[in-house]
Amino acid sequence: MKPFSLIASSTAVLLSTTVLAYAQDRGGVMTYGRYADSMFLDPVLNDANVDIWILSNMYDTLLLPTDDGQSVQAGLATDWSVSDDGLTVSLTLRDGIMFSDGSPITAEDVIWSLDRARNPDNGIWNFLLAAVSEVTSPDGASIVITLSQPDPAILPALSVFNAAVMPKAAFEAMPGETDLEKATAFAEQPIGSGPFTLESWDRGSSLKLVKNNYYWADGDDGEKLPYLDGVTFEIIPDDATRILRVQSGELDGAELIPFARVAELEADPNINMELFPSTRIQDIIINVRPELDGEANPLSDTKVRQAMNYAANKDAIIQVVTFGVGTPTSSFMASTTPLHTGEGAVFPYDLEKAKQLMAESAYPDGFTASMLTLAGNQDELGIATALQQMWSQIGISLEIQQVDNATRTEEYRNGTFDMRAGAWTNDIADPGQITSYFAYSPTIDALHSGWKSEEVDSLYVASQSETDIAKRTEQYARIQEVFNQDGPTVLLYETPYPVALQDNVKGFNQIPLGNNIFRKAYIEAE
Amino acid sequence: MSMTAFLGRRLLQLIPTLIFILVVVFVLVRLLPGDPASAVLGDRALDADVERINRELGLDRSLPVQFLAFTKMVFTGDLGNSISMKIPVTQLIWERLPITMLLTFMAAMIAVVFAVPLAFIAALRRNELPDNAIRGAFQVGLSMPVFYSGLILLTVFGAKLRWFPVGGYGDGFIDHVYHLFLPAVTLALSLSAILMRNLRSAIIGVVDAEYVTFARAKGLRSGLILFRHILRNAMISTLALFGLSIGTLLGGAVITETVFAVPGAGRLMIDSIYSRDYPVVQGLTIALAILVSVTFLLTDILQAWLDPRVTK
Repeated sequence: MKPFSLIASSTAVLLSTTVLAYAQDRGGVMTYGRYADSMFLDPVLNDANVDIWILSNMYDTLLLPTDDGQSVQAGLATDWSVSDDGLTVSLTLRDGIMFSDGSPITAEDVIWSLDRARNPDNGIWNFLLAAVSEVTSPDGASIVITLSQPDPAILPALSVFNAAVMPKAAFEAMPGETDLEKATAFAEQPIGSGPFTLESWDRGSSLKLVKNNYYWADGDDGEKLPYLDGVTFEIIPDDATRILRVQSGELDGAELIPFARVAELEADPNINMELFPSTRIQDIIINVRPELDGEANPLSDTKVRQAMNYAANKDAIIQVVTFGVGTPTSSFMASTTPLHTGEGAVFPYDLEKAKQLMAESAYPDGFTASMLTLAGNQDELGIATALQQMWSQIGISLEIQQVDNATRTEEYRNGTFDMRAGAWTNDIADPGQITSYFAYSPTIDALHSGWKSEEVDSLYVASQSETDIAKRTEQYARIQEVFNQDGPTVLLYETPYPVALQDNVKGFNQIPLGNNIFRKAYIEAE
Repeated sequence: MSMTAFLGRRLLQLIPTLIFILVVVFVLVRLLPGDPASAVLGDRALDADVERINRELGLDRSLPVQFLAFTKMVFTGDLGNSISMKIPVTQLIWERLPITMLLTFMAAMIAVVFAVPLAFIAALRRNELPDNAIRGAFQVGLSMPVFYSGLILLTVFGAKLRWFPVGGYGDGFIDHVYHLFLPAVTLALSLSAILMRNLRSAIIGVVDAEYVTFARAKGLRSGLILFRHILRNAMISTLALFGLSIGTLLGGAVITETVFAVPGAGRLMIDSIYSRDYPVVQGLTIALAILVSVTFLLTDILQAWLDPRVTK
């Protein structure tokens, strides 16, 4: 071969391998900065977002939430159906599915996992599967879930983290007597069937996931998922440091960017500042009990609460606190929640109307009330300070009390607070969860506010077993109407999840429920 | 009194100190409003869940019973399990405390390396330009809040110049030291300022002492005078200050660890207080108390060596 053609052909070979490599190269390890570390990697017994939001990368469920977080798609089950009477859910297990250790996923694992998840003694999430009375498998390839009453939220419930399928034998082989002891041992080296598996965990510092080679799903390009070889979570509690590490290129992404920095990062050509739609809403919770500390409580007056809502300039607060990133809430639940109704602010800013309502109320001369905010939380302090100024114009003098979380929770649970700043994110693609906490009084006295509406309570109970979607939509429309007008809240705004990513990071998603989805993520070769 | 008797007495004094700390930490953490179950479960906690978890944790028992159980555990070396992380507290302390110890040690060393030579220069050139410049520079170091100076160091030497990593802890000992350098400098800033000022005035007090003049008159080499006669005597009060500062340094590590994303015991402590993780707060306080006590003891021994009158 002549030298020239040697060079030409070897160049061609080189080029073609490069092109080939480029086309296939969706691997790499993605480093992701988190504000706090996970605590306990057990799907059933965990109780915090720091666990919930990453668990689905390690543990797989029968059904998966869709990318928009509103519905479900196939997971470990390929097909599913609910019987006409709403009392039976039948699912077909995917062929050849395996755990990350290569052992097969059997119907027995599924039954055991769901039984553990719905056991009322286990954790705080079993209520999501409370309607389930029995889980069986007639043939080892299908799963039949029998319900004690129809549950319109059963399909989304099967896509929630606590319904993850775990290996029964491996779990039971763990040291310890109780479920908690076994779970503690298991969670140190979890075996699941999600796209990744835990490689190492230096608490407070980093948590490393590697690709699960036995994961079942293929990407849209026909290649096996996940694309990434691994995900490394680095724990960086300080916002400024987390951002600095993205800017310096040491991190591929970082969560919970403060709103104050969003515009700056949006202007950075190397950074893709994502605002993922969320179910997070921000509000003020009002104690509406007729008496507080032995004195009449002005906040129990509906007119006073409506006046406070009208006097709260939502757009101004959104500008001051979220730097324009938020949008006014049109209902107590975020607009990304299924069956949400409403458009625009429920109480558009109207100072005259607010003054008029105060004059009509039992407290025309105003009153003094206090608000709890979380010490160190600039957003809550910003909201409280803005409201202090806004409400002073209708004669309400607001005292701001900055307390730590445990103190606030205690006053909240005891019902001894006047007002507090509050926020909420859904865990399930269904309006039932948020409604049970906000509006249905038997759960926690409607946000520990003492608010109660017989109509809302009975509508909620009916909605929990209503399988006719049209009827259920009507029920939730009415619940929202009553609660929004009369409820124990000042409705403020909803905000997206602010995530900063390097420009070459593709396919990452944080769904409205908060889950960080890395299975389709990859780092594009330069 | 001999050195051994002195040591023995100091060690015996540690015992009531530690018992006192045991009682205080047990009571204090429970005096905080809120309970672990509510703190961990947050706003969504249902009464039934809170009661169940408090029962599982044994927090429904009377305080004396809980204290007895706690004391018994401490003396068997078992500090219980973390409430939020479920794993043993001893494991957490072993993972996190050495990081803070290394950080504190590095900070102390850096502070000394800065403070001692500069104190000499400042003292020997009293009220001249070098003295004023050094004191001015240290005044800035002393008055800058740790989270601010830390962030400046991170931005300049980490993100811009790329000489150091932007936070984190790294893998392996050399990498750990590399990662901890900037946080250690941050911590050292205020300590070295305090040490420098103290040592400077101590040197000024000693330089004109009769024994130094006598040593000069004897024709001793100036290096010998500097180290044996001036430094050794000037160090005594500075050493006491240094020992006391280690406790402060451990406290300062909390903020530094947060800014630099160092997974040390300071951050663990703050997180655990917020989540009312009683076993972790108790265990960590005891471990830190022992650490500080041992530091004080070492300082005392060094001081006794420098100035034998201390053991009297």
